[in-house]
Amino acid sequence: MDHLDDRVKKEILDHTEDTPSTLKEDIWNHIDQELFQTKSGKAKKVKRTSKVIPISIAAAAGVMILFSTQTESGSAFIKQMKDMFVPEKEIVQSIEGNEEETNVNLQEGKNSEYIIYIDEERYKLVPGEASDIITTKEPLEERYPEVSMEIKQFTDIAPREMVSNLETELASEYTKVTETEPVTEPVEGFKMHGISGSEWDSPVTNVYVIDNLNGGSFVITEKYFLEAAEGHGARFYAMLQEFKIIE
Amino acid sequence: MYKLKAKCFELFLFSTKLFGNSKGIYSERSEKSYMNDDILEEIRNGSRDAFKQFYDTYQSYAVRTAKAITKNDEYAKDAVQEAFIRVYRNISSYKPTLSFDAWFYRILVNECYRILTKEKKNKSVDTSAMENREHLTEQSNENLSDLYSMIQNMADTYRIPILLKYINGFSEKEIATILDLNQNTVKSRLFNGRNLLKTQLEMMEMEGI
Repeated sequence: MDHLDDRVKKEILDHTEDTPSTLKEDIWNHIDQELFQTKSGKAKKVKRTSKVIPISIAAAAGVMILFSTQTESGSAFIKQMKDMFVPEKEIVQSIEGNEEETNVNLQEGKNSEYIIYIDEERYKLVPGEASDIITTKEPLEERYPEVSMEIKQFTDIAPREMVSNLETELASEYTKVTETEPVTEPVEGFKMHGISGSEWDSPVTNVYVIDNLNGGSFVITEKYFLEAAEGHGARFYAMLQEFKIIE
Repeated sequence: MYKLKAKCFELFLFSTKLFGNSKGIYSERSEKSYMNDDILEEIRNGSRDAFKQFYDTYQSYAVRTAKAITKNDEYAKDAVQEAFIRVYRNISSYKPTLSFDAWFYRILVNECYRILTKEKKNKSVDTSAMENREHLTEQSNENLSDLYSMIQNMADTYRIPILLKYINGFSEKEIATILDLNQNTVKSRLFNGRNLLKTQLEMMEMEGI
């Protein structure tokens, strides 16, 4: 047993022995064709965003709240401020080309850091240790890829650094990742988009990075699948329009 | 100049793999990537030659890894192909804070998972196309040795870290990065996986006696 590691290594290497040259050539020919023989395969330079777009504090009626949540008076004020949001309202969203009126309910995020209105007929907010996840009220069948929207705050990572980290992460998880772009809708911040494949169930993600106005970032990660882009994708978009940071 | 550097890079990799680490197989290699900065830059600038050089250097172990993870040569081929394409398309997002090899293998492992998940859903699909690949079926039909079967029959929780460690010599930290796990989790999975193998081998040898 002293040589277990040598034996394990040898066994694995013996059974995955070197690639036949024909296979090596086959793979290269495919890669070459895909990347260098077609115009669309040309390397796309990722344009770096040079500046962070500041986001205004969105609060009820556009009032800027500068109270700390650490003090009693601050907490009381935050509660008072949250009370200013209506608990339920109706929004109009475009779902698969049709205008749809949907009732949404006020939900308070982790540690009162944000509020969002949720379509509670279809979704629920599941509070977690590190993040909150909005997911379908009824679990989806196993054949469907994950459908969720995670809201997570990184108090010590500024948006620009966050974007940089996430670009690396997304590139390793999705086949196609589009250039990061500054957006003002559904939230003000940066948007990243990744997709793997072009089939009905190909996983899709939209990641939004928002300045938390305190040196950190909020990261909102939507996950759904290609066929659900006009459904769950559109509903997530509408809910995100109602996302407000409370400082 | 570029070709000279590329050749040195290839020779370095070859000698490392040929002679191994002076501390023996079990000791983990340093986390320095085999990828040369100049080649990386050339690839970023769209050089086909540099990318071919990178492919020639990495494909062999990439195929080994994908074969071992997917347990299927055709899936492995697809995974490797896609992984290289993704690396080229997303090279701009690679950050040197991460070891290049860990980044590359993270993409490869994810691609293996993606193909396995997809194939699991389409299990009823006709597999005759695979059997027509002479050079691929030869190995697929081969009887596996007992130890390799043991490894391949382990739960993926143990199997994948073990494969990454023994095929590529990745450190626990690198495996943690590749699999997006905590380093201590990897450490414990490697430890438990190795113990499982050891126990099974002992039992097999006792039965053999």
